[in-house]
Parts: sequence; structure tokens; C-alpha cells
Amino acid sequence: MRVILFSWEYPPRIVGKLAEYTSALATQLVNNDVETYVVTYHSYLTGMSVEANGAKTFRVANPVRTHIGVLTWVLTLNQEIERATATIYYQVNKQVDLIDAYDWHFIPAAVTLKNALGIPFVYSVDSLEDHRAHGADAPFNMAIKSIEWLGFYEADRISVKSEWMRDEIVRIHKVPREKIRVISSSGNSPIKEVLQLYKIVVAGGKAK
Amino acid sequence: MSRPLSVMMFSWEFPPRVIGGISPHVYFLSKSLVKNGVKVYVVTCDFPGAPDHETLDGVEVYRIDSYKTPSPDFATWVYLMNMNMQTEAAKLAAKLTDKIDLFHAHDWLVATAGIGLKHVFRKPLLVTMHSTEVGRRDGVRTTAERMIAETEAWLTYEAWKVICCSHYMVSHVKWAFGLPDDKLVMVPNGVNTKVFENVREKDGEFRARFALPEEKLVLFVGRLVYEKGAHVLVNAIPKIIDKVNAKFVFVGSGYMKDQLSTIVRSMGLEHKVLFTGFVDEETLIRLQSCADVSVVPSLFEPFGIVALEAMAARSAVVVSDTGGLGEIVDHDVTGVKVYPNNPESLAWGITKVLTDERYRNSLRDNAYKRIQENYDWDKIAQKTKQIYEGVLGEYSKSFWA
Repeated sequence: MRVILFSWEYPPRIVGKLAEYTSALATQLVNNDVETYVVTYHSYLTGMSVEANGAKTFRVANPVRTHIGVLTWVLTLNQEIERATATIYYQVNKQVDLIDAYDWHFIPAAVTLKNALGIPFVYSVDSLEDHRAHGADAPFNMAIKSIEWLGFYEADRISVKSEWMRDEIVRIHKVPREKIRVISSSGNSPIKEVLQLYKIVVAGGKAK
Repeated sequence: MSRPLSVMMFSWEFPPRVIGGISPHVYFLSKSLVKNGVKVYVVTCDFPGAPDHETLDGVEVYRIDSYKTPSPDFATWVYLMNMNMQTEAAKLAAKLTDKIDLFHAHDWLVATAGIGLKHVFRKPLLVTMHSTEVGRRDGVRTTAERMIAETEAWLTYEAWKVICCSHYMVSHVKWAFGLPDDKLVMVPNGVNTKVFENVREKDGEFRARFALPEEKLVLFVGRLVYEKGAHVLVNAIPKIIDKVNAKFVFVGSGYMKDQLSTIVRSMGLEHKVLFTGFVDEETLIRLQSCADVSVVPSLFEPFGIVALEAMAARSAVVVSDTGGLGEIVDHDVTGVKVYPNNPESLAWGITKVLTDERYRNSLRDNAYKRIQENYDWDKIAQKTKQIYEGVLGEYSKSFWA
């Protein structure tokens, strides 16, 4: 199986918990014979490399340096995420089984890649704008919520870390409950559950 | 190639959505390309009452929901609109049985949609730069302006060819983004001569709404803003009416309107000047057709489509020798060129045209012929198609093919 992880943070760039989480996941995927690529952002360490854990990384910078806000920064960065992913896709003779996109930042790229190249994707949700922004509904927050909704709508499966988050996504974004899978990171062997989820998506992904 | 060349164009405006000059440009270019055997898909923003998909003069037009995502400001709206445009275009391009050969973007307003799809489908991207942020604002100062200017630079970097509508714009874009010569190509803007064909040239009743029969009709068409130079024409009026009886009609509106009327009043020339405000297209076409001279006194002008339209309407033209205008008019042959921002020079040019009927007629005839030779949409489409074919030739030798 060949999988591409999308994350806006990945070591050595550490913003929150996501960098460590995705790095640990990449290591476990490699150990379970999954060919793992990580497409992520870095302001200058750009290009492809093979990490010590065996995962291949492709880091991109933002071609537009000046921004009026995080939204324009994210939206321009997405074209570079698409370029990196397409580069991998064509290098491996179009044999990419799925994309696992962490949080909303690179959802636009995942959606385009799914629709253009037929690569199914999992949307892995750590948090929601509704919780981060405490219900704020300014256009800025609504735009992010719209991108999250687009992700829920277009994703083949959604992965969350708790029953509570599943309930919240169902409540806020009206997503069918059966589309969401809870994989608790405190469980016995989350990697087995991740692999199980990937297999479901790969089996049904292209037929959809 | 057995099947027709197929191009997907991105534009933030397409009729009936008309905001500026890009909308008619993309409309005439795409339908003329179709006439020349190119399959054209236009992906654009929605408009109330316009269908999501229609075939218009052979052009496949797709309109996306451009206000789907709430946006805090205009620039962010542009990037969010591009996200939605890219999603829809990706769906469309993937399901077409005849694959897209090229993507063609018009201005930074569709930059990110085009750039992403170029890489995802690995097909060449071309861009037409209709304007630049640094040109529009006479420099970039704010964060938003710099962001837009950097997006333009990125778009021209990603494009296989950058098309500009005048030699002036070619050199401007080359300077603004540091592009190599072989990446830039000049294809003029076109003018649709057909709309002027059915207009009765000397419709007395219509003309009488604007000028007395014994008055020559001098026409200015443009926004009443500083760079269009309406104030230069106003300042030239006393010098002209010393020599020839004329009425000056200003079509358009803008922030200088009150100021201009005040100057006209203070000179005691209200009976010689008419400010019509914005007029509908039919009135404009008829006015251009019965004007004795059309004046374009701009201080800055990337192209100068209004001079071309006047020439297509068989009106003699007097223009300031600046930007794209200087290229459209051949002095003493297809019109008169005068010094920019110089009322004396402008008065000289207008007086010369109005007082010499033979000269005026020869300018009009030459200009009309020149329009048909150089600014005909059919020829512009042929030139654009040649550019497409050249890029596809390069592409066929690249590792993307």
C-alpha cells in the first residue's frame, strides 16, 4: 500500500501536537510495510528526502511571501501541496492508494486531487473551527468552517480520536455517522485500526 | 493531431457578468478560437439568471458558485473563489472524454485555480496579463497589494507563455516580474467591427440630442479619473473653439466629474460641454459613429481599447502618445498623436482634424482598414492558436508528455 499524509506541521517544524503525532504514525506505517510519503510545509527545507524513520517527505514553501491572513497563506500553499503530490503520483506510475489529510489546511488540495486523479482521501480531524473559535461566526471563521465542510463532504472516510468528536461532527456538519471512524490514540493498537480504515477506503475508494 | 486542440480558460468574468475588459475579451477570443477549430471550455463565476452550463457560439461555458464560501475581504474572496473554481474544473476536466491540452488563465484573479490544475493534470498553463497591481496602483504599498503583486509574479513564473495585449504591456510585465524575452508574446486586443456596421452614420435626430447641426462633435469616452486625462481636454477647449465651432461630449463618470464641471462653469463654457454620465452600449455606439473626432487624452493606458472602438466606428481619433495608445495610432496615417498632458498640443491636433475635411476622411478610412487588418478577432484567434500549438510542440518534447 502507498499512502500520502498531509500535515501542515511535521518535524522539524513543530507548532502543536500534530507534528509528533503524524511523525509517529509515519514510523508505524513504514514498520507495517506501507510505503509512506509526507507532504508538508517548511519555509526553506524544501524538496524530497528520506527520513530516518523510513518515510519519504516532500516539503514545500509558499511562493507568495506576503499575506493578509492565515486564509490567503493556506489557500496559496495548497497549489504547492498539489504540485508535490502530483510529482509523487507521476513518479510512482500513478499508483497512490490514498491520501490521509490532517486538519483543514490542505483539504482544498485533497479535494482537487481526488476529483482530478481519483485518489481517495481520509480526513483526519484533530479539532474543529467551531471549538477553536468558540462559536465565532465572522466571515473568517465561516470560511474555515466551509473548508471543513467541503472536506467532510468530499472525503471517503473521516477519522476522529473520540466518540465526542464524532458526535460533534454529526451535530455541526450533518455528516452521516457511519462515514466517521473513531480511532482512539490511547487504545491498544491504533495503527491496526488505521490500517483497517485505509483498507476499507482502498477497497471502496475508486468504485465510488 | 486528429482531434481538435482543446483549451480550458479561466476568467472571473464572462458575459453576462461584465465588470471590466476581461469579460468581452474572453468572450470574443473564445468564440473566435472555436471558429478556428479549437475546442474551448470557459470556467467562470456565476451571474443571476445565467445557467450553470451553456454552449454559447460553440464555447462550452461553465459557471461556478463563486459566493459559496463566506470571505472577510475581496482578496481572500478571490482565493476562496479559486478553490471552488479549481474543484469544479477538476471534476469537469477529469470526466471529459477529449482531454484538455492546455489551461489558459486571465489575470491573477484566477491564478491559483490555474496553477494547481497545471501540476495535477501536467498540462501547460498560459496566462494573459491584462494589467498589473503595480501599474494599477502606481506602485505596491499595502500588504494586500504586495500579496497580489507576488501572486501575479508566481502566475507568470508558472506560465509557459505570458500573453500581453500591447508592446507597452510586454515591456511593463517584463520589468515588473523580471521575465525572459522568449516567455513574453504580444497579441493585440481585438475590436468587434460588426456592432458598428448597422448604425446609421449621420442620424440627424440622434445627433441633435448632443450637438447643434453647425457644431462639430468632439467625443471623449472614459472614466472621469485622473489617468484618463479628461481635464487635459477641458483645458484645451478654449483654444479649439477659437478656431472651430464644436460641442464637447464627455461620456462616463468618475471622481473628477464635479471638479471638471466646475472648471467648465468657471470658463463660461457650459453651452459647449455636455457630461452624459454612463450611457448604454447602443447610445455609445451611435455616439461614436456620429462623432467628428474621438479624443483619448490618457496619461496612462495599458492598451486603449476605446481608441480602437472609435476607429471601428469610423470616427477620426486624436490620442496622447502614451502606453498602448501610441502603438494603435500611426501619426498622420490612422489618427493624430499629441503630447500627453499637454492642452496646447491636444488643441492643435483636434483643430487640425476638425478644420481639414480631406485629412479627417483619410484618417478615418486608413484607420478602419488598419483595424480590419490588425485587430480583427479572427486573426487574433489564429495568432493565439499558433501560440497554443507552439507550446504543445515544446510540451511534446518534455518529460510531462
